[in-house]
Amino acid sequence: MSIPTLQGLQTALSGLLAEQQALDVTGNNIANANTEGYTRETAIMQSDLPITIPATNPLTGQGAQLGSGVSVANITRIRNGYLDSQYRTQNSALSGMATQSEELEQAQSAFNEPTSSAIASQLSTFWTAWNSLADAPESKEAKEGVVAAGEQLATTFNELSAQLSTISTQATEQYETLTGPSGEVENYAKQIAQLNGQIKLAEEAGTQPNDMLDRRDLLLDKLSTLANVTVTEQPDHTDTVSFGDAAEPLVEGTSVNWPQTLTEAAGGQLGALLNLTGPEGALTALRTSLDTVAETLASTVNAQLKTPFFSGATAASLKVAVIPSEVQASGTAAAGGNEVARAIAALRGGAADEGYAALVEKLGSDVQTAKDDQANLQTTVTAINDQRQSVSGVSLDEEMTNLITFQRGYQASARTLTAMDSMLETLIEHTGVVGL
Amino acid sequence: MSNDRITPAMVTAGTLNNLNTSLAALDRSSDELSSGKTILEPSDNPFGASRVIDLQSQLDGLTAYAYDAQDGISWENTSSSAMSSINDVVQRVRELVVQAANGTNNQSDLNTIALEVEQLTESVKQDANTEYAGQFVFAGTLTSAPPYEQGPNDEYKGNSETVSRALAPGATVNISTNISTLLGEGSGDGKLLDTLRTITQDLRGGTAEDREALGSADLQSLDGNIETLSQLQATAGSTIDQLQSALTRNEDLQTSIAESLSNTQDTNIAATSIAFANEQAAYEAALRASASIVQESLLNFLQ
Repeated sequence: MSIPTLQGLQTALSGLLAEQQALDVTGNNIANANTEGYTRETAIMQSDLPITIPATNPLTGQGAQLGSGVSVANITRIRNGYLDSQYRTQNSALSGMATQSEELEQAQSAFNEPTSSAIASQLSTFWTAWNSLADAPESKEAKEGVVAAGEQLATTFNELSAQLSTISTQATEQYETLTGPSGEVENYAKQIAQLNGQIKLAEEAGTQPNDMLDRRDLLLDKLSTLANVTVTEQPDHTDTVSFGDAAEPLVEGTSVNWPQTLTEAAGGQLGALLNLTGPEGALTALRTSLDTVAETLASTVNAQLKTPFFSGATAASLKVAVIPSEVQASGTAAAGGNEVARAIAALRGGAADEGYAALVEKLGSDVQTAKDDQANLQTTVTAINDQRQSVSGVSLDEEMTNLITFQRGYQASARTLTAMDSMLETLIEHTGVVGL
Repeated sequence: MSNDRITPAMVTAGTLNNLNTSLAALDRSSDELSSGKTILEPSDNPFGASRVIDLQSQLDGLTAYAYDAQDGISWENTSSSAMSSINDVVQRVRELVVQAANGTNNQSDLNTIALEVEQLTESVKQDANTEYAGQFVFAGTLTSAPPYEQGPNDEYKGNSETVSRALAPGATVNISTNISTLLGEGSGDGKLLDTLRTITQDLRGGTAEDREALGSADLQSLDGNIETLSQLQATAGSTIDQLQSALTRNEDLQTSIAESLSNTQDTNIAATSIAFANEQAAYEAALRASASIVQESLLNFLQ
């Protein structure tokens, strides 16, 4: 039974090298503990092929296999692809709901309810002005009061309508910026396509491009805030990325397919922006309802009068059409008649007031629902992200433990080397010398 | 799913998230306490927000109608006091007529009485031209011009339309008094002005028939006119009662609606203060715990 003389040295060396590599991997993990999108790595160690030692006597003796050391077979990322796809689905939903609630909250601030400068309070002031006119039907001050209250009300309608229109325009602009040339969609898609090419080459060369895979996954996460993302991994390790409800994949191999048409069903921020400004969207519905309130106000007031008090039938165009001297408290020429003023004062709490209160209630509950949904989705996304972190995140405690493990391993391998060395020293220096 | 591995990034993110949640609750309570309102924007309580709008408008409406009723009462007080003044005048005329009819006066005395009656007639017309807030209260709806002119022309320039004030949407009360039913238009209609003119004529007439008429026919028509005046005064009085009770109802309603409004939108200071103190304690505890947890790591213990 014989073993190559220097085998022990080789075995100890392989231990030193493997432990060193594992230490390097640990060091890299620690260095990247706070890097966005970094996946912890681990060195997979594998024992080397053993040396077969033949039996000296084939009939009686037994042969053996002697291990010849260790090597690092692979440095691999620890990641769960299922959690990634879950994260992206929920992240799209969250981002869409966040956009929805942000835009609706802006609209809600524009309404500025419940304050004294908001429409509800000004409607009330307007009706009260007609009550005062009924007490003094010929009074110049009372007529001026009616016109002033009407003008302030109309102006508030105009301003609110303009603010809602601005919010809507900004949403459309935001969509165009994100999807336009050099927008975020195109930018991310190009980087993903480029990484696809590099990853394919690296895999073909037999190396595992961990850092590029991390970067590609991070880009896919970011893309999922914009719209729904579905990733299919191809046998050549490139990712085919379907984006929103676009007809063609956004990224296929190294080619980018953009611009494409998206609809409200795209999900994510882009889907929400399209939904809000679309014909069925919440912002559009809000503007239509406000127009209806303005129209109802104008028509119910004008119906009581020979000379229309309001002109314009939308929130944007509502205007007081008369000067104070033209305001009529009565249908007759008699100075003391006030039946018209009384009839208009009695419109308080009528169709216009009810329509407006319903509008505020609807807006409030839309915002409330969007905020609640956003909070729920945030909880889900946080939970999935925690799971991802649990799998892929760097734990410093763990890395410190590994550091000690591999350091001790390295020290032990070095000690083995010393032992081998002193064994060989005995062989080389002291063998064959007798009696000296 | 339980997490086998816990990483510092998870702990940090979770801690930060919890701190944010605590701080948001604290901020909310502080907003409610400092503003005194629980509904700061419609999404805080959509139904409540629409109810606040509705109740506030009802409350404003009640205030406006209370003002209308108050205005009606002032108008009615003005016309009542004008009618009392007419009553004083008529009573004085009656005394004069009785005095003239007793037969001991010579013609010169009667002429002096006639002069006084003429002046009193003008004063009746002046009372009929009483104004409230620039409006002639006895002119029907023609409130911008005096219903009678001074001098011999007794024509009524007002109309018989009624002036109304609203007590509530759809509920109105008539506040105008048609004074022409009392004063008339002269020229033999038997109303007060005609009676007064006849009395003057009879005083100046000097014949036995004239003296006779003073004591009988003239006194009779004057009493008839006084009767009409009392009726008008009674009507005005009952209108004031009606307005007063509407005002009382209005104020009761205002109180109850203001209470509903306060229940809907005002902060319950006691409850919110306690919640605020709890949230503050929770936030402080969270901060203290976070500060010590996040710092711990194996690194602290390795040599």
